[in-house]
Amino acid sequence: MKKAAIVLFPAVTILLMIWGYYQAIYVAPDDAMQGYIFRIIYYHVPSASVAFAFFAVSLVGSIGYLATRRSNPARAQVADAWALAGAEVGVVFNTVVLTTGPLWGRRAWGIWWTWDARLTTTLVLWLIYVSYLLLRRFAAGPQMQTLAAVLNIFGALDVPIVYMSNRWWRTQHPAPVFGGGPDSGMKDPTMVHALLWNMLAWFCWGVFVLSLRYRVERQHQKYAEIEAQEALTSAN
Amino acid sequence: MTPVLFTHLAKDLRIEWRSKDAINSMLFFALLVVVLFSISFDPRGAFAQQIAGGVLCVATMFASVSALNQAWAREIRHQVLDAQRMAPASGAQLFLAKVLANFIFVTIVQIALAPVFLVMYNLHVAGNAWLLALVLPLGTWALVANGTFFAALAIRSRNRELLLPLILFPIFLPALLGMVQATTAILTGEGDPSLWIKMLVGYDIIFTTVSLLLFEVVFHAE
Amino acid sequence: MDERNILDHQFVAAAYTVTWVIQLVYLAWLGFKWRSEKRNAERKSRPTR
Repeated sequence: MKKAAIVLFPAVTILLMIWGYYQAIYVAPDDAMQGYIFRIIYYHVPSASVAFAFFAVSLVGSIGYLATRRSNPARAQVADAWALAGAEVGVVFNTVVLTTGPLWGRRAWGIWWTWDARLTTTLVLWLIYVSYLLLRRFAAGPQMQTLAAVLNIFGALDVPIVYMSNRWWRTQHPAPVFGGGPDSGMKDPTMVHALLWNMLAWFCWGVFVLSLRYRVERQHQKYAEIEAQEALTSAN
Repeated sequence: MTPVLFTHLAKDLRIEWRSKDAINSMLFFALLVVVLFSISFDPRGAFAQQIAGGVLCVATMFASVSALNQAWAREIRHQVLDAQRMAPASGAQLFLAKVLANFIFVTIVQIALAPVFLVMYNLHVAGNAWLLALVLPLGTWALVANGTFFAALAIRSRNRELLLPLILFPIFLPALLGMVQATTAILTGEGDPSLWIKMLVGYDIIFTTVSLLLFEVVFHAE
Repeated sequence: MDERNILDHQFVAAAYTVTWVIQLVYLAWLGFKWRSEKRNAERKSRPTR
């Protein structure tokens, strides 16, 4: 049963992707104001949603790690694996957002970038989680997981502050904002459906990749533990 | 100030007074940054007023990082940190003392740098100059409190000098924005700095509290 | 007017392509990592000579 699910899930995901693409390119109409370029939204917005959701997963994993690392070390390792997987896959999706966004903005509003609240926060979120991954790579020793978990919490605290401070900055010096809300102008139901299908497809893809990353990390943890044990026993 | 906190603080200040390592390198680095920015952006007249706040803050950032990098270096050497951990005093007091010491060092550098700034940028304060004495310490505290904490995070990594700014700057961004906006508003007299001052106060309270709460976790992370 | 439309098409194609390149490169990297972890695990499970 489990074997079947492991093959079935990616297969369904790919089908959803194809269906979503068909909806985005062939079924949904051009936007009344922006024209053809609006179709980037069907990849851009789902990627942003997945990125934020997975960063939340990472934060929960880090909190879980800090909470259980003394009382239940096995569960703490599971939590830490989710923290890493969520952060890494989140960065991948966030990178997609930061590259598709400017391509959309350039054609729709004439500018590659602006320092409004939403874009700046997305960029800072990317920076924070890349720095989290760098800490994990460069910090040595068993305490790395604890330190990374703490950094994750700091980063999460910072995000709403970045958003609010940028909003104040921009109300004082108004600057171009990329659209009111990407789906504020979506009154056509075929467009809404296309967005929802792609949301589903990208969430499924995201969950697929996230679970793979989780498994690889668990494998790595077991190997690291065996290595640590051997180092201890061989020291005798 | 508890006796433990005072002991830690006095120790750090005394060591620094004897060697003057941190302050000298900070002063020189900050001066270099100011000169570099001046050559890159050629501050003249009203333009100088607009960018002086930003240059001062960025110069403070880079100068602070050079001091923060070796904030814990002394404790790492000769296993002093291990001895600290075994002492019954709380880690939070050690942390707070380090933040205070670094805060004093960076403030000294800022005060030393102020006349240089006034001269090189032909500054005249159009707004309420006394507010600067509020804004600059608030921004510096944000930088030093987070910086000391993250320096402790980066301590056991192999490129800790590189890692510290990488993990500090993204999180420091809103405080930088607040500090620059408030300073520029005070210098140019345009705009109201009070919103940014309130934001800096909020930022300082939030992150100092979280740092104090989580420092024990980091301190005993073994 | 038509030239604008062509550029729009190119940008949409670029955005979709970039998305898939990023995703698939990451998936490939993950595959390599999976293989190296598998190899490490096999090396460890082998009884010591």
